[in-house]
Amino acid sequence: MITTAEAKQRAVDQLAGFPADIADCYIAFVEGGDFSRLRQVILGVLQFHLAKPPEQPLAGLPGSTRLVEDLGCDSLTMVDTLFLAESLFDIRLGDDELARVTTLDELVEHFRLHITGSTPTST
Amino acid sequence: MANPRVVISGVGFITSIGNDRATVSGSLRELKSGIERFDFLPGVELPIAVAGTIKDFDTRALHWAGWRWPAEYSITKDLLRGLPPHGLHAICAVEQVIRDARLTVADLTDEDTGLFCGSAGSPRLMRHYLNQIHESRGERIAPMAVVSTIAGTLNFNLAAHYGIRGAVAGFVSACASTTQAIGYAFDEITLGRQRRMLVVGGEDVSFESTYAFHGMRALSRNPDPARASRPFDQDRDGFVGTGGAAALLLEDAESARSRGAPIYAEMLGWGQSADGHSVASSDPDGRGLASAMRRALAAAHVAPANIGYVNAHATSTPVGDESEARALQTIFTAVGAHPPVSSTKALTGHSLSMAGIMETAFCALALTEEFIPGAANLENPDPACAGLDLPRTTLAQGPRLVLKNSSGFGGSNVCLVLRRWEP
Repeated sequence: MITTAEAKQRAVDQLAGFPADIADCYIAFVEGGDFSRLRQVILGVLQFHLAKPPEQPLAGLPGSTRLVEDLGCDSLTMVDTLFLAESLFDIRLGDDELARVTTLDELVEHFRLHITGSTPTST
Repeated sequence: MANPRVVISGVGFITSIGNDRATVSGSLRELKSGIERFDFLPGVELPIAVAGTIKDFDTRALHWAGWRWPAEYSITKDLLRGLPPHGLHAICAVEQVIRDARLTVADLTDEDTGLFCGSAGSPRLMRHYLNQIHESRGERIAPMAVVSTIAGTLNFNLAAHYGIRGAVAGFVSACASTTQAIGYAFDEITLGRQRRMLVVGGEDVSFESTYAFHGMRALSRNPDPARASRPFDQDRDGFVGTGGAAALLLEDAESARSRGAPIYAEMLGWGQSADGHSVASSDPDGRGLASAMRRALAAAHVAPANIGYVNAHATSTPVGDESEARALQTIFTAVGAHPPVSSTKALTGHSLSMAGIMETAFCALALTEEFIPGAANLENPDPACAGLDLPRTTLAQGPRLVLKNSSGFGGSNVCLVLRRWEP
């Protein structure tokens, strides 16, 4: 379990330069376990890494929004997002896991399952 | 058919003494130092406490998301994620060159434009990424770990970003790297292979890039920023690290004139040599550097007596400066020539592979704006410098011919001859 103090330090170390609300949501999720906050963290990190992000927050887009076709997400963006999420939440994803993820909802659900210790099924 | 005349038609600076041409020129004239106190390892008291810092940028964060730069530069995320800190500086310096030379980014994509660079890579980012790889037992490897850290990082990133299709190469002759890059860029143009060459150098200012030199006791332990870097002074005790980026455009003179670009100087020739002496220490008699100067002067068809200013390599190390003094005496004093000599590293610190291009661009400013930077911080010239003219203050006189010296590990020596532009 990550403590609130650890989360605050990780926010300082690893989210420097990211929009402040991502750090706020991250700390809130660690403190309270509210998965809506987790969604905001994952999608906020993804949005920050997109070369051409949409003007509106990803969290406000339909969950069926496609990562590659609709958002122009490339493999480097996915890996950057993955690395940061792994560091923030102390999880490890396999090399090819995210290759099967195609939408925003699938992405968030994949991380949620890892964080809760469930085994993600093929999506 | 005669070889084309080669000119410097654009300059760009992100340096400890300024982030644009006007500020750099003012610092050189007024002998305004860019060196200040610097925490190489925050929270740890170290014997080395000063550096030539880059102002208005913040690249302390390991992730580019935490970096800050002046708002006038638009840097995209897909570019940032492959850059080391000095890569960000280099992009900004190149943007200055493009504007200064009255080029467009599209002009750089023709097959007549090449790119030569010098950089030692980013030891700080490399350490970070290698730690990640080790700690994760090989599971976590950042995709851009290689291209953002190894010695070719500048040429990789700049060539891709600007769509360069001419000759591209990186030079790794340590502190002679970018002077050598300029020399070979000159050859590319005179041999008719390229019409213009963008030459860029950069280095990080960090614990990992700089502090390792303390292992060979090459860094100044003087904590006073105003006196730590003092080339040719008898009390010098080592160099002060710096970095950032500098860039210039070498070009066929006709090409520059047809575009109405500013012409800062003409490059007449260059020469190089090796000491054949030591991996890390200069030949005490300066024989290698004297040989490089002799070759550069011969290639430029210039007599020593006609040189009006020497921008020395002198980094403020006891051995290196004395070696260069001996070489200068061999070439100049021995024939009764006494050109003013100064090392602008007294103001900037020593930027390693980037030093040559930064100081060549300083020489270009001196030629076009008609001044000679003084030998700052020089209080008691080393007796080994007998016979050398080391002006303590900036001279309001324009040299017509300038010699630029550089030396690097392994005894590499490179010298360039520049002339005031005479159409």
